Amino acid sequence: MILSAITFLPLLFALVVLLWPNTKTLRHLALGLSIIEFLASLAMLAHFDSSTASLQMVERFTWIERFGISYFLGLDGLSLWLIMLTTFLTPIVLLGSWNSIQDRVKGFLVSVFVLQTAMIGTFLAMDAIFFYLFWELSLVPMYFMIGIWGGQRRIYATVKFFIYTMLGSVLMLVAIIYLMFMTQETLGTMSASLLDFYRLKIPFIGGQFFTLQTLLFFAFALAFSIKVPVFPFHTWLPDAHVEAPTPGSVILAGVMLKMGTYGFLRWTIPLFPEASEYWAWLFMTVGVIGIVYGALVAMVQPDIKKLVAYSSVSHMGYILLGLFTFNQFGMTGSLYQMLNHGVSTGALFLLVGMIYERTHSREISKYGGLAGVLPLFTIAFFIITLSSIAVPMTNGFIGEFLILLGSFKAEKAFAYVAVTGVVLGAVYMLWMFKRVFFGEKGELVKDEHHPLHDLSCREICVLVPMVVMVFWMGLFPNHFLDFSKASLDHLVADRSNYQLAIMGDKAEVKAATTAFNKAEASQ
Amino acid sequence: MNFNIGIADLIRVSPMIVLFLASLIPITIKVLRGNREQSSEATLFQGLGGLAAAAILQMTVYMAVSDSPNPMVFSNALVIDGVSFWVGIIALIASAISLILMHDNPATNGEQFSELVFLTLSSALGMLILVAAADLLVLFIGLETMSLALYLMIAMSHEQKLSKEAAFKYFILGSFASALFLYGVSFLFGTVGSTYIPEIIQHTGQLISSNRLFLIGIVLVILGFCFKVSIAPFHAWTPDVYQGAPTPHAALMATAVKAVSFAAFLRIITTKSLVGSENLFTILQWLAVLTMILGNVAAIIQNNFKRMLAYSSIAHSGYILVGIITVGVSERTSFGASGVIFYLVGYSLMTLGAFAIVSLFEKDENSKIQIDDLAGYAKRHPVMAFCLTIFLLSLAGVPPTIGFFGKFYLFTSAIGEGLIWLALWGVLNSVISAYYYLRPIVVMYMKEGDIEDAGSIMNPTRVAILVSAVFVVLLGIFSGPIYSIVEKALS
Repeated sequence: MILSAITFLPLLFALVVLLWPNTKTLRHLALGLSIIEFLASLAMLAHFDSSTASLQMVERFTWIERFGISYFLGLDGLSLWLIMLTTFLTPIVLLGSWNSIQDRVKGFLVSVFVLQTAMIGTFLAMDAIFFYLFWELSLVPMYFMIGIWGGQRRIYATVKFFIYTMLGSVLMLVAIIYLMFMTQETLGTMSASLLDFYRLKIPFIGGQFFTLQTLLFFAFALAFSIKVPVFPFHTWLPDAHVEAPTPGSVILAGVMLKMGTYGFLRWTIPLFPEASEYWAWLFMTVGVIGIVYGALVAMVQPDIKKLVAYSSVSHMGYILLGLFTFNQFGMTGSLYQMLNHGVSTGALFLLVGMIYERTHSREISKYGGLAGVLPLFTIAFFIITLSSIAVPMTNGFIGEFLILLGSFKAEKAFAYVAVTGVVLGAVYMLWMFKRVFFGEKGELVKDEHHPLHDLSCREICVLVPMVVMVFWMGLFPNHFLDFSKASLDHLVADRSNYQLAIMGDKAEVKAATTAFNKAEASQ
Repeated sequence: MNFNIGIADLIRVSPMIVLFLASLIPITIKVLRGNREQSSEATLFQGLGGLAAAAILQMTVYMAVSDSPNPMVFSNALVIDGVSFWVGIIALIASAISLILMHDNPATNGEQFSELVFLTLSSALGMLILVAAADLLVLFIGLETMSLALYLMIAMSHEQKLSKEAAFKYFILGSFASALFLYGVSFLFGTVGSTYIPEIIQHTGQLISSNRLFLIGIVLVILGFCFKVSIAPFHAWTPDVYQGAPTPHAALMATAVKAVSFAAFLRIITTKSLVGSENLFTILQWLAVLTMILGNVAAIIQNNFKRMLAYSSIAHSGYILVGIITVGVSERTSFGASGVIFYLVGYSLMTLGAFAIVSLFEKDENSKIQIDDLAGYAKRHPVMAFCLTIFLLSLAGVPPTIGFFGKFYLFTSAIGEGLIWLALWGVLNSVISAYYYLRPIVVMYMKEGDIEDAGSIMNPTRVAILVSAVFVVLLGIFSGPIYSIVEKALS
């Protein structure tokens, strides 16, 4: 019950907002509702049993019987924190966009809530078609968010975003349908359940591209790679980020990109273990290219927001690299880095949005000397910058360090190149920081007709939770990772024959263990 | 052969009889009133009443006959089965919505509204015959009844240039297609000795590979249908006719006519001629791919809303042809066929909705609705704009709408028969189609403008649009049971 509530409450909230008669209190209402959702997710966290890798709080009903499609929600250590991230960021985004969204507020709030349902559903759905439904549904509100409340070139950016992502996902749909027919052959009845997909033995022939597992693997991987986005497919991201309004950017960078990396973690790697292993070099390579390329391109951006967008490409490269190390360090680091990136890049976009609200410009060259005028803002920006470049004691450090450690264990060459990304990251962030906050006062800063005001009470409320999270996650990573440890251990250890049991369901547990024992015996 | 017309047969064709009688009511009243129109509401009411009565009878007859061992009517001329029932219902609903559009659209609601209602109901009668035909000649009669009424309806428009051209084009190409079809039937009759479809099915396995004349006959019949359902390269008439015809008529042609033509196509394809003839199988597959690509790519460059919808309907013909091919090669006919029928339901609903919105904009018979004209519609009429958004996203196949599930079922059955490459073409084409379906949404929501639609605040068209939009979403979410019902009906 609790998972359905978490997933569909925002949809209900969207309806409430839609029917709310008083436009003046709309924002207050939405903020309150999003906090209720966050509290609900805290209740979910309290119920979570961190000692098991099984799926918890499972809800499962038949939905389309003919094709074995079910309404199937389940939670484990891989999805837990991503949901917390989503529910945590939403109130912050709503508070952060208090003044920046003035036009069609109602539509905007409805989009945010629908998007929240789509994102949480993507993380919780354990049925392939159900998952696909949320996955595609998430495009629509984001499409409107960029297209209606975005910047100058918003229409180009939003159409590109929509088409690009859809292109990736339709091939995944074909692969899903194919897997459903495979379940029919091997298990007797057609099923779209992920747990049944895990039971399939998909023939793999290394070195030949046009073989079953390789093709299916790439169909899924393409969809997720576009969403992440992995290096050659990243071109939609800077456009979408730059044109999106601040809350859109925060949600896009904070949560939606994680849908891609989560897809790798949940779907691609356990479903196609041999193919993932065989093609790991490819994904590690593009991951490393993404790290370096993203950093280099970020360095030369004249626009702060674009710089942050390219830094996302670089950070997501780390996550991809860590995922394909297949060891404890790398995968844990990746999962942690997903959360870090959500917090730090989300906060960066918020900060960029705050300064943009004041000056209506994001050009680095027009700033300078902001530190003297906006001390509080500078402090906040500095802390988040440190987190973004992974200084010890901040959250970024834990994630990057684990990923580098993991890649060093797996393949040294990649680690060598990836390490340069740490330096490059410091270069572009600190250089930008220097140009914006120190030195001579820029034309926008010394403009006497428009004196700049430091952070308002509301903005401090937006930033404080983010800063707290930066240090909390940096100092006490185990507070977070302990919840995911069992699931990650299970994934790393049993990757070649991954099964997920449903907690409390004896039959499922038994089926999973017998399948596992059989595989053991055959080895 | 002895022709016994039993009372049972008459009861089984009662929907058609009722429809025919109902079609006469408005014009009879007009004649009795000394050639003066009664109020258009009354005419509309009579027309809708006729359609509703036919639908109810259709349902009752189907319920009664579905258990009986002999579903045939009039010595094997007509058959009452899942296809005839479901597609018949689609046709009746689509005709009803088109009637509502005709009533509200200034281009069609004029001096001759009674005649239009008569023709629409006659056309619907032809459709019911067409979907129930078990004999190729009866099928031809249904086809012609339906088409002749349509030719007249388009030609009756007050608009002088485009609609006349459209009517003429439609008439010539339609007749050409009918001629091809009839020519094919003559070959089939010559080789098999019968025009009864089940008998042709019996002989196909043996004749298709050995008898050239039989093959020519099958090919000609299929080509005739390719014309009717606008499969490229036989599609050229579609954009001109849809654009030129008054919007309500275009809506009728794009939904009801297309659905029933595909249903008849489905009956022909169950002869399993595709299994016997490898060439025909290959050619049809390429035609499907060509149709999808051509329809979608051409739709991208259109500026006229109706023309864009016309090309989109061509593209959808391509998707449905994938389903038809699947049925043609499949052992489990009902699996593929229910995918096709479900798709037809969804396609008809969302296309009707889109055309209804276009119709709402038309102030007179010369209105030309460009896509860019929609600017600012979302601010003026948020509900209508949202409905159009639902229709367009559904046409593009975004979940959880019926458009997504229609495609899902269609391509699932194709993949199940190993036609993965056709399914791949299908999904890639839906990505292309997303580009032009998004364009009206962009214009409505993201561009400034002050378009006002012509309809009054609460007119029947708006209600029809709202209901269709709700059903597009609801039938998507609860598509499972409906699909199962359709499949059960077909097996």
